Amino acid sequence: METRRGPARPVEDGEVITEENVYERPDRPMAFFPGQVVADLTVSAVLLGVVVALSYLVPAPLTEPADLSTTSYVPRPEWFFFFYDQMLMFFPGSLLIPVGGVVIPLLFFLLLLAVPWLDREPGHSLSRRPFAAVVAFLIVLAVVLNMLLTLVRILNFPQS
Amino acid sequence: MSSNRTRAARLGRSALDWLEERTSIVSMAEHFLYEPVPSRGRWLYTLGSATLFLITLQFLTGILLLFYYVPTTDHAWDSIYYMMSQVYFGKLIRGIHFWSANALIVVIGLHMMRTFLSGAYKRPREMNWVVGVFLIFIVTFLAFTGYGLRWDQEGFWAWEVGVMIASYTPLIGDWVVTFLLGGDTIGPASLSRLFAIHVWLLPALLAPLIGVHLFLLRKHGEFGSEFEYSERLARLRERRRLEGYAEEEEQ
Repeated sequence: METRRGPARPVEDGEVITEENVYERPDRPMAFFPGQVVADLTVSAVLLGVVVALSYLVPAPLTEPADLSTTSYVPRPEWFFFFYDQMLMFFPGSLLIPVGGVVIPLLFFLLLLAVPWLDREPGHSLSRRPFAAVVAFLIVLAVVLNMLLTLVRILNFPQS
Repeated sequence: MSSNRTRAARLGRSALDWLEERTSIVSMAEHFLYEPVPSRGRWLYTLGSATLFLITLQFLTGILLLFYYVPTTDHAWDSIYYMMSQVYFGKLIRGIHFWSANALIVVIGLHMMRTFLSGAYKRPREMNWVVGVFLIFIVTFLAFTGYGLRWDQEGFWAWEVGVMIASYTPLIGDWVVTFLLGGDTIGPASLSRLFAIHVWLLPALLAPLIGVHLFLLRKHGEFGSEFEYSERLARLRERRRLEGYAEEEEQ
């Protein structure tokens, strides 16, 4: 069976479909090489340039050797854990770690896995999926705000 | 001169034929390189390949770091310090490993967002989304264990906090701690565990899952599932059928 990939052009009124135009698409496709390959290589090259420059301009950090006997050291999470770190702060006392650190992140992970089955809105474009659009916006907003909150807290740490 | 060129070309062709017959490498390369892909969204689709590129960088620089890194509590920090101050390109290799790990998390986040916003997880691509969620989970855990391997104050105590949080996992908390620390408390065995998890366990999980992710991408193509030709094909069949009737009536 002949299969081809690509978005089919919607059938227009009065259009005669023949063997020649049955696989037509609304936008012009391109061959993976060189079109996409060039774009991929460009982005990769830029990223490589950035990480090489950063490795000399801002060398990878290494603080003093670990001292297992200290009890006063307040560890700083990496920036991508800011969101997670802040979540712990929302739960007081004995709920702090079990709920904020384990249960909610686990639920979030399961929710993330279930996204394809939760989003029942038809179509792919965002304008046809208002609910998904709102949820995405709220999640990004929550993550960014949480990260900012952690950043503010970390800047007030005793060591810094 | 020209006869030499012809001979060289013939030799090249026969070498390619020899390879093609045994490995199908030429037809495979043609199939992969000239597949039609959408020209629209070309730059957005680079997020996936950028992720793959950064992960490859992680593997390469990680292997080079292993040439000097010593996974013992006595020498881990010293070996990194030595790498940063004495080893040729040590600063560069560790810098690339560190910064590309950071960039990786940003790029994966953007890649995931692009997938979500374009609804690319919809039928039949649900399983690719699921594999992707596992991949981001593994990458995050890799970043975290890498932080601990430095065995400096910051990395060590962040790891300690992570283990403490993990100990609160319902039902299996104690087991998780023993698994992560190699005992009840942090000691020399803990760094060995951390090392084994970061260098072997997680990459061994990551690599085949990347393979599955790419296989599923290839299987379904880069286009959305609504983009099928069923409607146009149905119209074509309908027209042929009607033409068939018309011909019969004429006879």
